[in-house]
Formats: sequence, C-alpha cells, structure tokens
Amino acid sequence: MRGALLFFAAAGLAPLVVSDAFLLDSLVLMLVWGCAAGAWNIAGGYAGQISLGHSAFFGLGAYAAALCGVRWNISPWYGVAIGAVLATGAGAVIGFLSNRLRGPYFVIATIAVSQVLLIGASRWRGFTAGSEGIPVPFRPGFWTLGIADKRLWIWIVLALALMVYLVQVYLERSRRGFQLAAVREDEDAALSLGVAARRLKVVAIAVSAAFTAVCGALWAQYVGFVDPLYVFSVDLSIRFALAAILGGLGSALGPFLGAVLVTTLETWLRAEFGGLGSHLVGLYLILYGIALIVIVRYAPQGLVGWLRRT
Amino acid sequence: MRVVNFAHGEFLMLGMYAAFWAFTLLHADPYVTLVVAAPLFFLVGWGSYALIMRPIVHTSHNVQVFTTVGLSIVLQNLALVLWTGDARFVRTSYYTSVISVGGAVLNFAQAVAFLLAVAATAALFAFMRWSYTGKLMRATAQDRAAAALMGINTDRIFALTWAVGITLVGAAGVLLAPVYAVYPTAGLQFVLIAYIAVVLGGLGDMVGALIAALIVAAVEVIGSYTIGTAWKEVLYLVLFIAILVVRPAGLFGQRGSEAIGA
Repeated sequence: MRGALLFFAAAGLAPLVVSDAFLLDSLVLMLVWGCAAGAWNIAGGYAGQISLGHSAFFGLGAYAAALCGVRWNISPWYGVAIGAVLATGAGAVIGFLSNRLRGPYFVIATIAVSQVLLIGASRWRGFTAGSEGIPVPFRPGFWTLGIADKRLWIWIVLALALMVYLVQVYLERSRRGFQLAAVREDEDAALSLGVAARRLKVVAIAVSAAFTAVCGALWAQYVGFVDPLYVFSVDLSIRFALAAILGGLGSALGPFLGAVLVTTLETWLRAEFGGLGSHLVGLYLILYGIALIVIVRYAPQGLVGWLRRT
Repeated sequence: MRVVNFAHGEFLMLGMYAAFWAFTLLHADPYVTLVVAAPLFFLVGWGSYALIMRPIVHTSHNVQVFTTVGLSIVLQNLALVLWTGDARFVRTSYYTSVISVGGAVLNFAQAVAFLLAVAATAALFAFMRWSYTGKLMRATAQDRAAAALMGINTDRIFALTWAVGITLVGAAGVLLAPVYAVYPTAGLQFVLIAYIAVVLGGLGDMVGALIAALIVAAVEVIGSYTIGTAWKEVLYLVLFIAILVVRPAGLFGQRGSEAIGA
C-alpha cells in the first residue's frame, strides 16, 4: 500500500518537475500499459482466467474513439463509453466461454475472438477504413481529447490507473475478492460451497474488458493512429500479460511496476539496436520471451513477490 | 501429453526456413531436405523438451501456456533478427508444374505434400494405436500417476511424444515451403487452423481431428466461393467459437474430455 502511494504520487507529481517531452511521453505510455496490464490482471491474476485475446477489447476501445472522431464527429469521450460497453459485451462472451473451457483451450478461444475482430476491422473497409488504419483527427480541447500538453495526459491516465488499482485492491480485501480467489484456486470446491463461481468469473472478465477498452480509447487519442494489425494483435495481448506476470500476478501494484520495467527496457533496447532499417528490432522481444519463460519457472510471484521476500 | 504447445507454429516456420536455406545455399531439393531435417527436428524436439519443458510439465496449465508462448516469441524474433522479416520463396524447377487427377488440376508440390501428409498421418495413427510405445503414450496422457505406477518411464514418454510432435510439424514445414512464402510469423496461420481442427475433432482423438480438418477446409473453400476470400477466416473462427460454446468437447470428443487434466 505504501509502495503504491509512493508510485502514484511520484507519477502525479512528475509533470510538475520534469519538462522533458521524451520522459513525459514515456510516462504516459507506461501508465497506459500499466492500466492495461492491471485490467488484464483482474481477469488473469485474480480470477485465474488467462486470456491472450485482450487486444480484442483494447482494439474495440481504440476503434470506438477513432470512429467517433472520423465518422460521427462527436467527442471521443463517447467513444470511451461505447468502447467500454462493446468490450463488456465481448467480455461477457469470453466469460461465458470460460465456463465451458479450461486451461489452454480457453486461451485458444480468446485468441480466436481477437482474430475475428482483427479480420473484421481490417476487411470491413467501408466502416473501419480497412487494414490501412485510421488517423485520429486532432481537435483541440479537453472535450474532444485533443490535448497537446503531455502533463494533462499524465493526469488523465493517472486517474484511470487509480481506478484500476482500486478495483484490484477491492478484489484483494472484499468478500467477493475472496470468493473469486476461491474460484481461481479450485472452482469445483468453490461451487460446492455455494459461491456463484460462474457469475463471478463472467463479471470479472467483463470488468477487465471494459477497463482494457478505456485504455485502448485513450491510447488511440494520445498516439493519434489506429492500426488494426497492431491493436488486435496477439503480441499486444501477450504484452499485457507479460507486464502483469513480470510485476506479480494477482497483486495490485505489480502490473504497473511490470509495465514500467517492460516499457523502459523496450525503449532502451530500441534506441540502442533498433535504428531505422535495422532488423535487430526483434531483440527486445527475444528478451521478453526469455523473461517470460524464466519468470514463470523461477519467480512465479513476479517482482512484487520478490520484493516482499527480500 | 495434455500440454498445448503455443510454439508449434514456430517449429513449422523453422521447417520452412530449413527448406529455404538448404535450397538456396546447397541447392537441395525440399524433398531431399526432408530426409535430413526430420531426424534433426527430432533432436531439436528432444533438446527443447529437456531444456524448457521438463521442469514445467507437471506444473499448472498457466505456467505451460506462458512457457510455450515465451518460446514462440523467442523463436519468431530469433528468425526475424537472423533472417529479417522479408518473405522468401523456394522456387523449385517444378514450381509451376501441375498434375491433373480426373478433372482437377493440382499444383505438383501441393499434391506431394498432400500425399506425404496422408502417409504420415496414417503412420502416426497406426503407431499410436498398435505399437507398444504408442500405447504407453496414450496411457501416460490419460493418467500420468497411474502410468508411472505401472512402471512406465513417463519422463521418457513425454520427451518422446514432444519430439515426435516437433518432428512431424518440422517435416510439415519443409513440405509447405515450396508452396507458401516463408517469413518469421508464417507459422501462425497454419497453427491456428491446426488448433481449431484438434479442438473440433475432440482432444486426443486423431480420427476426429482428421475429419474436423476436412470440415475446416470445406468451410474455408465454400466460404471463399460464397462470401469471398477476405472473410473466409472469420467463417471458420466463428464456427470454432460457436462449437466451443455448444459442445466444448468437440464434435466427436467424449463429453467432459476438455476438462481432463484441467
């Protein structure tokens, strides 16, 4: 708890001290990926429903925000809401699947869902502009989320991060959270004790999906371009999962720490080896893969677990 | 084995690259490469099992998922760093040759790949069904603890099963190289279809998987004709999700078999 206070206070106060655009930009992205990893953690860490299709929700949010600007010329805040509602629906579908499938077969089903959306978004040219993607129009103002000031972005994303964090803390302390942990550890035993296991799982996945969509919508507005092959990719889903696992599965602050670590490492390795036209760009991903294999074997509690022990 | 290997497609990709490099550097025909590559992939399979899979084969599914996903990321990007992301082609002299069977005209390389795949499937089926080792593999997959109590060296059986799987997928990659472009993420499109066929057919059911593969192929072809090639993947993915919702054990699987080992 103290660690979290320190982390969020540092992130919130940083814009007052730091003025370097690059650092501020990194901080915004770290917080966005931290939120997405935290949202993933609600389903993957607390409910134990490992999904590699969370990019589906992220993409829904990103497209909702972008299309609000391009097609309907309304505020992207509506896009945030629309994306969250759509993702809640898609999350309910995946939640329903989680009641029918276990383990790796659930994982494959989630990948299939994100692939359906990927193909849909990249082929439905009349509506989504197809695989070229959508440049998000920059319309200045807070209501249209056309904000050039990165400091403001940090505070907006920080608000979302706090919400994601508090939901996770709720899952750690409340009766519902304990029930969810029981479902994760042994679903049959939880059911036999009268825990509404199925409903809890669906709700957890739907909440996780909604937050992921909000991340997607804000990310689209911040970055200014939505590419279906990126926002719906399996790689993106893995990135959320990796940050959460690296930081600590089922811990509230872990995903944010994981995201900071992953984003820093990626930026550094890209700057070091990823010059234009260099094919060494894959290097950081090799490290990610090795990190994933090593962490789940030797430090399944992640960074937070390791910090607690020492 | 009751372990889903998310790096399966990457071993297929490695098979395709093996065919490409043998063809480009040594001018070896892919069918010659196959003879050398198959035992090589067996060794690669055995090695990857000993190095990466052995310590986690008895842990939870989530650990297995992430370990194989990690392996998949490593292999994909190793290929990207070593061989760049360019799509490469194996242009054999018979690249444009076709053979006609009845009224149908088939690409030569595709026809050979088809025949060898049928032969390999039949051999694998016979092996799993009738050979003593095949019986040991099925017994170990059904109940590890009981198999170990019966004196089966389950660790060896796991390593062998894993290595056989890698050998077959590597060989498939070599066979596919003359037909499809080779690039670091080439495995994904094939392996997704493979997962779908396996789940549709019922896990651990080889005949079911074969029939399901034919169904997926039929859906793909009919879909391309009726609603266009752009949407054909959506069709079988939606079919896949629908079947999982209605009948998660697969079309021919035993009810409840999807939960075994969960």
